[in-house]
Amino acid sequence: MILQLFVNGLIAGAIYALIALGFSVIYKTVRFFHFAHGAVYAIGAYAAYGVISILPSGWGVGGWFVAVPAGIILGAAAGVGLDRGIYRPLRDRKASNLILLLASFGVFIFIQNLIALIFGSQILTLRSSVVREGWHVLGAVITPIQVLIIAASIVTFGLCWWIVAKTRLGRAIRAVADDSVGASVCGIDPERTIMWAFLIGSALAGVAGILISLETNLEPTMGFNAVLKGIIASIIGGIGSIGGALFGGVFLGLVENLGIAFIPAGWKDAIAFGLLIIFLLLRPQGIFGKKK
Amino acid sequence: MNYILHILVIAGIYIILTLSLNLLVGYTGLPALGHIAFACIGAYVSALLALRLGISPWLGLPIGAVVAGLLGLGVGYPSLRLKGDYLALATFGLGLIVYAVAKNWVELTRGPMGLPGIPRFDLFGWQISQVWAYLILVTVFALVTIVFIGRIVKAPIGRVLRAVRDDEIAAQALGKDTRKHKLMAFVIGAFFAGIAGVLYAHYITFIDPSSFTVMESITVLLMVIFGGMASIPGSILGAVILVVLPEALRFLGLPSSIAAQVRQMLYGALLVIFMIWRPKGLLGKYRMG
Repeated sequence: MILQLFVNGLIAGAIYALIALGFSVIYKTVRFFHFAHGAVYAIGAYAAYGVISILPSGWGVGGWFVAVPAGIILGAAAGVGLDRGIYRPLRDRKASNLILLLASFGVFIFIQNLIALIFGSQILTLRSSVVREGWHVLGAVITPIQVLIIAASIVTFGLCWWIVAKTRLGRAIRAVADDSVGASVCGIDPERTIMWAFLIGSALAGVAGILISLETNLEPTMGFNAVLKGIIASIIGGIGSIGGALFGGVFLGLVENLGIAFIPAGWKDAIAFGLLIIFLLLRPQGIFGKKK
Repeated sequence: MNYILHILVIAGIYIILTLSLNLLVGYTGLPALGHIAFACIGAYVSALLALRLGISPWLGLPIGAVVAGLLGLGVGYPSLRLKGDYLALATFGLGLIVYAVAKNWVELTRGPMGLPGIPRFDLFGWQISQVWAYLILVTVFALVTIVFIGRIVKAPIGRVLRAVRDDEIAAQALGKDTRKHKLMAFVIGAFFAGIAGVLYAHYITFIDPSSFTVMESITVLLMVIFGGMASIPGSILGAVILVVLPEALRFLGLPSSIAAQVRQMLYGALLVIFMIWRPKGLLGKYRMG
């Protein structure tokens, strides 16, 4: 029982960590809470669903080779589009973090309802063809999809760490994060770097959205809890840090799921919001963050 | 006719909510994103007192408002340590916790099943069940709120609140207890939001957690921003326009589920538009952040 909750926590944590990772890469460069990250996540999932439902059923598993890239690309495009169309004009007006956050809420609400308008507000499912019986490992059940989620998270984290730590782009992102003016003096274009951060971060949101819709369901409101959990995970691990996103995501997933061994499952979200308040008040820089 | 009166009752309740939030966001510069939680507490306290103990709404109203005010003390506490978007996030989280409690504490609140059959207000043995009569009641409370908050912001206290907003350190340097004033703004704002919640519960006679979602908090915030930060006529205007405007969607013949989505899209788009072009709102006197 406890082991099963542990496995469930790990899987939820892998998804939270992916959302937190994308959120953190974006936060690093723009320094505001991009709440509409949750809408991008939903766009990724619904785009994959849309492609699968349009393709003739004869495509079978082959459809996934179209649907998954389509979801990721549309997610990335949505993220970059939001930055160009909404956040950049706000940055040009020297808007505060708070104004950017509220605008981001507005965008989120708009997209969430647009999705509901197009696809309907009922619950949809993507997994029809892929449901298989899980494997039994030490008394816990784990399905192939769940193994895929964990594997995809590990690979994505590795890739992201490599990009940020080792590539030219990663150096530009870190430079803009440290000092945007200083970076532009050194010939780094901050706007271009921010665009790349949105591209990478939003593609990650798309990946997370597709993975979760294989594991559970799709509904237009799916982005709300997702982005909140992503933000909470980022804050727990130290916002803007890649290792922190991984730790925060897994920590949050485990605490939520092990918590319901003691209290009813309906309180899961309340546990997460409680953690958010505790961290904001007592340790806003996160577990690994340095005090400002 | 009753339909128009009903819209006006709802607008009146939103005027109270918007004014009470403007005291926090506009006058004191505290971005509170969980305002509907106070209305939720007021509504549940008064409804439960009436349903379980048979206590009259006339007594439930002040009790509900005071309990909401006490909650305001708790929700306001983060404002002593956090600012700007971090404070917004913390109050947002606290609002979500109140919602989660209303939804999950089934023994007390019946959770998603809600509380049906909440009694109406009565006056000398006569039940206020006609919409026009309720409109008079709501109008009285809206006027009380307008006068009270109007007095506060003009009084010396109001000057301190604006000083906290504009330059907290300077206010402290002048010997003002800014912590006390921030908490006071939260308590007063929560108190009036609690009144709005009680008025709502005894009007609709049914409440469930879905009336008090985050989306409602953001709607009230949008009303504050739309009408104008730190402007009382602005809040009245914002609440009335944003309640009435979506009703026009009904006349376009949209089915109600689609109309609800279009309304929220409109709210979302307005929030973005105002943040980009006019963050202080139509009649606003203060630019956020």
